[in-house]
Amino acid sequence: MNVLIVEDEKSLASEIADFLRSENFLCDVAFTGKDASEKIAVNLYDFVLLDLGLPDYNGLELINEAWKYNSEASFIIITARGAIEDKVKGLDLGADDYLAKPFALVELLARINAVARRKFKVDTNNIILGNFEMQLSSRKLICRSDEVDLTKKEFDLLSYLVLNRNKVLTRTQLYEHIWGNILDDQYDSNFIDVHIKNLRKKLNTHAPTPWLETVRGVGYRISYGE
Amino acid sequence: MAGNSEGRRVQDKLRRIKPPGQGTMMQLRTKLSLFNLLSKVVFAGMFLILMPYIIQGINLRQVDNNLIQKREQVIAQISDIGIEPFIQSDSSDAFGSYNILKEEFISLERIDNVEDLNYIDVAPRLIEGEEIEYRVLNYSFVINDQKYLLEIGKSLESIRYTEKNTRRVMWVFLIFIIILTFITDLEYTNLLLKPLEKIKNKLKRISDPSHFDNSRVKTSTYDFQRLDSALNELMDHINALFKKEKEITVNISHELMTPVSVMRSKLENILLKKDLDPETEVKIEESLKILHRLQSLISSLLLIARIESHQYLRDESFSLNDLLLEITGEIKPVAADAGVDLTSELPEDFIFKSANRSLIFSMLFNIVNNAVKNTPKGGVVKVRGILRENGYLLSISDTGRGLSEVQKQSLFERFKMRDPASREGTGIGLAISKTIADFHNIEVSVSSESGKGTVFSFLFPANS
Repeated sequence: MNVLIVEDEKSLASEIADFLRSENFLCDVAFTGKDASEKIAVNLYDFVLLDLGLPDYNGLELINEAWKYNSEASFIIITARGAIEDKVKGLDLGADDYLAKPFALVELLARINAVARRKFKVDTNNIILGNFEMQLSSRKLICRSDEVDLTKKEFDLLSYLVLNRNKVLTRTQLYEHIWGNILDDQYDSNFIDVHIKNLRKKLNTHAPTPWLETVRGVGYRISYGE
Repeated sequence: MAGNSEGRRVQDKLRRIKPPGQGTMMQLRTKLSLFNLLSKVVFAGMFLILMPYIIQGINLRQVDNNLIQKREQVIAQISDIGIEPFIQSDSSDAFGSYNILKEEFISLERIDNVEDLNYIDVAPRLIEGEEIEYRVLNYSFVINDQKYLLEIGKSLESIRYTEKNTRRVMWVFLIFIIILTFITDLEYTNLLLKPLEKIKNKLKRISDPSHFDNSRVKTSTYDFQRLDSALNELMDHINALFKKEKEITVNISHELMTPVSVMRSKLENILLKKDLDPETEVKIEESLKILHRLQSLISSLLLIARIESHQYLRDESFSLNDLLLEITGEIKPVAADAGVDLTSELPEDFIFKSANRSLIFSMLFNIVNNAVKNTPKGGVVKVRGILRENGYLLSISDTGRGLSEVQKQSLFERFKMRDPASREGTGIGLAISKTIADFHNIEVSVSSESGKGTVFSFLFPANS
């Protein structure tokens, strides 16, 4: 998939590009609104990651321009301003999602995937994890034809790990994804540990879960071979 | 029921939060009215004590004048028709006359006394075998070398009777005047103090200077007008400063977010590398954690600034019970893991109107989560809701270490840690909760006993 990253902070743009390239995306980078506008006019993108705080351009105008060029790009707004009006305006103009800076790169990937699933109506394949089968569309986890009873948060946690399989996800990244913007001032919250513990317990009553790994001092990872 | 008494205790605490010196405080209007009443009572009392003497004096003078007038009449009559019609030269040497009720008498007699007499005094007289006290005018005059004594008397009883009547009239008049002036004074004081009342109302229930209504209060009293305009100016000034402060906070936060964002992405990309040794992995994760702390701090400041500058909408209505069940449902696994019993007692539901659900969620999540974290193994955290006339009282109690007086006082201030020794967090969570509560006009109070636990109480305003 083709992605255009519109971000005036050069080092951030290149980090995002590095990450997405490692996820097999084709990335273009524009540091100014003018540059972005030209690129949108010429190329076809599936996604535009748009920073609203551009020095030369009102970022929201780019969305309007894209409509003019009949671009089919999906817009994901990334901004440090995070003002509510920006979010509402952006989504009103047709942006597909909104991420406040700073965000986790894996979270960005999850959002892109979610938009892609909606847009291309991809029938997500069911994922096989050892003896378990994860049905993403119906949000069910099946083990040898038995359904595993998971809470919403547990399923979200598991599917986030599955989506980012073979990558270590830190507790912070998992916490942010599940609990969003709840501001917790005591950072080493063991919320995630407790939930993973409970999740493991539930899964282990059906079948062993060697694929759900604890990476000591870092976080958790689901490993399964290609 | 134990639950109710607990709730009542919390409620009493809420009510007890008053400005210092409340015991001797009185409204200006009450003070003026009291003084008004008191001065009138003192005045009336003094008047009542002096009244008999005054009335007596007035009456006597009137009677005396009356007697003198009568004397003049008699003398005039005598000089017109002579003394003979009254006293025959040969027969008796005295003349006397009195009316039927013996209220007045007049007598004329010959005397030999050389002295001239002209005085008024009180003396008894025996009339038809009855001794009666009279006010008597004595007057001597000479006709044809014969000295005569004229006596005109008025009975004291009739004088006293008049006195009594006068006193009664005075009483009625006095009471009437006191009541009338008290009422008019009261009304006028009220009218006069109305602008002050309005100014007072302007200041009431203001948790944020931006809520201040800076419309002018109509008044013809110079002092009130000055007070009002001084207040308005002051509030405008404060508002301007607050706005500036919020803007600065917002701008700085944005500026800080960009470098944090870059650093975070860089570290995350490194962590994704396949060939990292575990030691490096841990170090990077630790750096990310610290970075996240910085990020949380900035977003917290940003959040507070945004709430205070009303960037959040209050356009949702929701069931508080549902929200609390959601919160306790999420925290329960963590509580269970820590060996803390998290229970809720929510007999009645409360629909909170014109609110921001996600903010209220954050506020209560924070408090319940904190309570669980601060409670040792085997402890209990209780969430209780009671529907009251003045709103919905929610209390979250724990059996943790409790708070000292000093901690309690600075609890809702930013960057005040609950326990400085624990070095966990920055204490901004409670400041956020307080800001959210203020934004929704929710009264927050804390009661705590060191070593026994803490109770956070939220009084949600009743839906009007």
